[in-house]
Amino acid sequence: MNDKWTDRLSEYLDGELAPSERTALEAHFASCGDCRTTLEELRRVVMRARALDDRPPAADLWPAIAEHVGVVSLAARAERARRRFTFTVPQLAAASVALALLSGGGAWLLSRRETVAARSTASTTSPVLMNASAYASDARYAAQVATLERALETGRGRLDTATVRVIEKNLGIIDRAIRDAQSALAGDPANAYLNLHLAQEMRRKLELLRQAATLAGARS
Amino acid sequence: MELTTAGVATLRGDPDQAAKDAETADAALAASGDGRAFERLYRSHVARVHSLVRRMIGPDHADDIAQDVFVRAWTKLSTFRGDAAFGTWLHRLAVNVILARRSTIGTERSRYHDAEGALDDVAGHRATPELTMDFEEAIGRLPDGARQVFVLHDIQGYRHEEIAEMLGIVPGTSKSQLHHARMALRRHLER
Ligand SMILES: [Zn+2]
Repeated sequence: MNDKWTDRLSEYLDGELAPSERTALEAHFASCGDCRTTLEELRRVVMRARALDDRPPAADLWPAIAEHVGVVSLAARAERARRRFTFTVPQLAAASVALALLSGGGAWLLSRRETVAARSTASTTSPVLMNASAYASDARYAAQVATLERALETGRGRLDTATVRVIEKNLGIIDRAIRDAQSALAGDPANAYLNLHLAQEMRRKLELLRQAATLAGARS
Repeated sequence: MELTTAGVATLRGDPDQAAKDAETADAALAASGDGRAFERLYRSHVARVHSLVRRMIGPDHADDIAQDVFVRAWTKLSTFRGDAAFGTWLHRLAVNVILARRSTIGTERSRYHDAEGALDDVAGHRATPELTMDFEEAIGRLPDGARQVFVLHDIQGYRHEEIAEMLGIVPGTSKSQLHHARMALRRHLER
């Protein structure tokens, strides 16, 4: 049954015995069937542990996590915004200020007062969300996007294919969202939710490009 | 560096590195506040993290603690530098969260063991190869120390030196706990 080597078998299995001990144990195996059997069983335990399947939780934890960290999925956000469509324009303007302040580069988002403000009761001194048409034709936005796209193009060879795929997939999603919002706004230019949504997506595109360009530049 | 087409880039990296880079990109996006990138990271790691929590401290608090792991990951994302894989960073964070919670939960567990009988109690019945529990359940019935070392070493792949530091024990104790756990688990291998 157990002998002085039994308790050393895991160390042997893990390659942690000193060479002299290993040699001695291997000599012992020749005459001890128990140790040979136990070693085989231990080996199977280790293999079994490596083959264990990971199971996800029974209930999705994401909604609670998203709630905690203050993010929601796009679908949930759009749904929420639709439900709360009675937001006043000043509220939306305040939300856009908060958004823009999150990134210094986004400050210029606040630079114009357009249709939304004109139709609202917001004071003339408070910064407001840009109107979609003015936004889309904003030269600074176009220039920033173009600069970052060039930087990314130059550095993309340094990124692995999967990374490029993730970035391009995300850019595709954002561009689609921008196009959707723009075409929706064409039929309803004063729609405050659509204006906010478009501003968010355009800012998101800038952020993604900035991150991607940084990543492409860093990996040299 | 010259411009490289996507087709050429395919030939460069190995798939593991590519997946790692994709996660690093998502981690960078998440660190900048992109909730969807963080949700992708959550989706690809939740099973691994939840299983780790379950194996380390049982099913009762697993949802709660796994959730805590991801909430903390979100707040600490800026400290992830991308030198290691995101998964390595996240799992180490998970271990820290688990170990911080284990003292309170360990007390509850030992009461459970007194009532139900730990795995050690069935050691005498080796002649009866009756498998009343599966391997996962058997891991759950190991005494706390042996179970934690077994999960960290044989499932998570940490070295004894790392485990000893995490658990505040000496490497020799980690080795003997591991051996103890493996010896007990032999009887619960599916045949
Ligand atoms: Zn022997």
